Amino acid sequence: MNKIKWLVAILVLAWMGQYGVAILAPHFAMQALYHAVVNQSGENNFMLTPLPDETTRDEVRPSPDLFYGICAYNVESAPVFITALVPEKYWSMQFYQMNTDNFSSFSNQRDESYRVNTTTKITLIGANDDASKYQGEVVRSPTDKGVMLVRVSAIGDQAQQISALNVSGCSAAVNAK
Amino acid sequence: MLIIKIIAAILLSVSLSIVLFIVQLKSNSGFGSVSNGDWTTSLDTGSENASVMQKAAVAIGGLLASKRESSIYYRLSAIDGKPLTVNCSYRIDGNDYDAGWWSITAYGWDNYLIPNKIQRYSYNNDNLTRDDSGNWSVRVSAISQAGDWLPIGPAGGDEWKNFSDHDFDLLLRLYTPGVAYLQTPKAAVLPKVVEEGCL
Repeated sequence: MNKIKWLVAILVLAWMGQYGVAILAPHFAMQALYHAVVNQSGENNFMLTPLPDETTRDEVRPSPDLFYGICAYNVESAPVFITALVPEKYWSMQFYQMNTDNFSSFSNQRDESYRVNTTTKITLIGANDDASKYQGEVVRSPTDKGVMLVRVSAIGDQAQQISALNVSGCSAAVNAK
Repeated sequence: MLIIKIIAAILLSVSLSIVLFIVQLKSNSGFGSVSNGDWTTSLDTGSENASVMQKAAVAIGGLLASKRESSIYYRLSAIDGKPLTVNCSYRIDGNDYDAGWWSITAYGWDNYLIPNKIQRYSYNNDNLTRDDSGNWSVRVSAISQAGDWLPIGPAGGDEWKNFSDHDFDLLLRLYTPGVAYLQTPKAAVLPKVVEEGCL
């Protein structure tokens, strides 16, 4: 009887534990990515990554048809200003919090085609910051840390897309709180 | 003695938890995914509404995936229940799809691009060879093929980490997808994949 109690306890804990593993997995994966980016470019800096190939291991299932620009942001002490020149070919900007949720996105497609050949300026603020203090497009990050990812088509003539990425930026506000 | 038993029980529970977690990921059950022929797609990828298992699956197999309003990902790892293998050749037939941009990429079981001599990993709406009606075909094979050829072969990952039943899979990305993909993902038009022969 005692052995059965132990066995039941182990099985119940294991069943519950799988959900614990599932809850932790996204945070571990995002932390690993965040630190990999910070180690290469620092916090609140925009970094271009080479066109993915079979040796690419920083990102799972990378698209070989897209250029990626990434920024590991931290809005704990100040908002982060993001600027991006939007090319004609496919372009998108996605924001992810540390549990992998894609909480905000922009693109140059369909209703947002007006962004083509313009500069998109976004102020990224913390969860408790007052959005009314800032002008233009403001994005509220649910967590202090997160990742901003720009995807740009690498199809055909790549000159315009590369130029656009080269003048994109991600930087913390100078006047920290 | 009781403390040793408790520690052993905890260690066993944690080990079993990890095994159950892997089984859940492999079975892909309850993750809010829907099928469209042999293709499957998750409705809540990247969303805050995704279940914990779904978020874990995204973290491991597709970190930084976008919400479906931005991009929809259809994955195909088997045809009529038969897992894709590098020992067989396949043909993908299609036309065009209502999306700002789309592509089909082959990934090894390790979720990374498949090593190949010509460094061809995908085709997209801009570089496929089409007939006058816009139809196209891509051959997926480890053996060199005429026309549009997507090479496959052994994945680059360590084989001992391979718990997959398939050697590779195909991922259809539809960026800024049209209404049909958002509202009726089970029935929206997708490429057809057929097996052409095996070694």
